Amino acid sequence: MIMMVKENLAMINPNDLTRPDCAVISLKEVTRDYSGHAGKVCALNAASFSIVAGEWVAITGPSGSGKSTLVNMIGCLDRPTQGALMIDGVDVASMSATDLDRFRADKIGFIFQQFHLIPYLSALENVMLAQYFHSMTDEKEARAALERVGLGNRADHLPSELSGGEQQRVCVARALINNPPILLADEPTGNLDEANQKIVAGLLKDLHAQGHTIVMVTHDPEMASLAQRRIALSHGKVFCHPVGGAIVPIR
Amino acid sequence: MSHRISLFQMIRRSIMHRRARSLSALLAMTISAAVATALLTLYTSLDAKLHHEFRGFGANIVITPAKGEKHFADGTLDKVQALAGPDANAAEFGYAVATTDRGTPVVVAGTDFAAVRRLDSWWQVTAWPTPAETSSALLGQHAAQFIGDENNVQLTFADRPITLHGAGRLNTGGDEDNRIYMPLASFTAWTGALPSVIELQVPGGAAQVESVIGDLRKQLPGIKVDPVRQLVEGENRIVDKTHALMYAAMILIALTVAISVLATLSASVLERRRDFALMKALGSSTIHMVGLFVCEAVVLSIGGVMIGYILGSGASSLISQLNFHTATMPRLSVLPAILLLNVSIAVLAALLPVRLLRGLQPAALLKGE
Ligand SMILES: Nc1ncnc2c1ncn2[C@@H]1O[C@H](COP(=O)(O)OP(=O)(O)OP(=O)(O)O)[C@@H](O)[C@H]1O
Ligand SMILES: [Mg+2]
Repeated sequence: MIMMVKENLAMINPNDLTRPDCAVISLKEVTRDYSGHAGKVCALNAASFSIVAGEWVAITGPSGSGKSTLVNMIGCLDRPTQGALMIDGVDVASMSATDLDRFRADKIGFIFQQFHLIPYLSALENVMLAQYFHSMTDEKEARAALERVGLGNRADHLPSELSGGEQQRVCVARALINNPPILLADEPTGNLDEANQKIVAGLLKDLHAQGHTIVMVTHDPEMASLAQRRIALSHGKVFCHPVGGAIVPIR
Repeated sequence: MSHRISLFQMIRRSIMHRRARSLSALLAMTISAAVATALLTLYTSLDAKLHHEFRGFGANIVITPAKGEKHFADGTLDKVQALAGPDANAAEFGYAVATTDRGTPVVVAGTDFAAVRRLDSWWQVTAWPTPAETSSALLGQHAAQFIGDENNVQLTFADRPITLHGAGRLNTGGDEDNRIYMPLASFTAWTGALPSVIELQVPGGAAQVESVIGDLRKQLPGIKVDPVRQLVEGENRIVDKTHALMYAAMILIALTVAISVLATLSASVLERRRDFALMKALGSSTIHMVGLFVCEAVVLSIGGVMIGYILGSGASSLISQLNFHTATMPRLSVLPAILLLNVSIAVLAALLPVRLLRGLQPAALLKGE
């Protein structure tokens, strides 16, 4: 079952987690402004922090505090207006759009609150789609990934034939199929009941145990407590605190 | 399973998923292919058909003896026929003015009825004389009025009488109505006059007519060879106008279809922005997504060509059956042009809306409902 762990992740030594040069994600004064009809909105305001390889970080904060904005920038779906964003040692702000696409396919796995499965493709094909854009499809591997999330027997079902929890598990299988070092989950359990939340939490625990870096946005304190560290946002500003500790502004 | 199969399955599923949209795109492509097939199929056989129609109008070349001569030398008709080719129709005529039993002068023409029948298929004749009857005649409808008994036509030429049997009446609306036509051999025996006019009908357009005229003038020096101008030029004008009309129709239809396909595909891109955003998140390059989208449009257009070709071939056959009374066979040779036309329309119509994808904001699209 632990077929997904490849060399780059296996190399991580848990003792290195605290070393800053081991940072797989690092933000320096990252700002993201939106300029709309109603004027400028600063969704993220000079955020600076690092996440080390293999770490599980929960991003919390009230609605509109910039959590999705942050995750989308880490996922290279969006670019900072200002500041430096390094992912896996590469300055993504300076990359071309095409290189960024490639980079995203290699490094990032997304888990969405709304699952975002292609409705006309079966569970298996949805997983294979990620393989298709990454390199080559491999049905055996895709089936193995679905088995891993407990959906081996539902591989040929369409998303509409699956429950929300099952769809989210397909989404997890799709996120891990190309074995990306970083998993980004924007409220992965936001649309799930407690039982399914437990299943997805269990899957994330497994993935973390295998060395994946996980950045997870959540409103749920229970989910947040699974993370090793919590990064709190408020009005686009970053506050950092250990789980259960007091909120301390970083700067 | 190879990844190729999966790509095609993906496209197939995607087409089936948006059934209504795909169907409307397919319909537009089918119509364009059908109309293009029908027009091209008709077009390729149109010239032949039009020229064939024009054969019905009779001679397009008139040949008369050299200046100062009253009639042709022996064997002229055979030479003309040999030069004009086996598809040309030729008939010779000799003319004399005789007097009816009522004392009215009338033009009598000697000719070969079988040849005239082929040449002047537009003549309205109640009954053609059979070749065996040497004294059988065709009476122009005006000439007949000056004849007492059509079964017993008494004519006199230079004091030499002849009795003809009127087999039928002729109605052309022209000079022919004033004449009496009879077999050439009997005519010559009676009047001593030899053929002095050859009417020739050359198939094809003005170019063929001109070339045959050139040949005749070269090979039969002295002899007068003239085209029937209004016929040759009228034919040309009609063929040219028909061509222009068909081109215009084709361009108009291609444009209409392109616009409707463009509208459908643009709507499709907008509808699927979320899917495209997801593909971006999965690391797809824009080119890759554009490729998928264009592939889909091309698959639809090929489907449209296949259905449209069959429908268009049927339509062209029906049209030509109704207008020219001969069926037009489906032509495989028009298929590549139609495929090219439709696939280019599809690719263009797919590439234009794809520009919308360039401004795609996956982050905003994937964020929420
Ligand atoms: N495309 C956009 N244009 C303009 N403003 C935007 C855009 N996207 C987000 N914002 C604004 O940026 C701020 C941060 O939005 P973001 O989606 O990151 O919040 P969030 O923390 O994820 O909220 P939620 O918990 O509700 O998902 C909000 O004030 C939002 O209105
Ligand atoms: Mg959000």
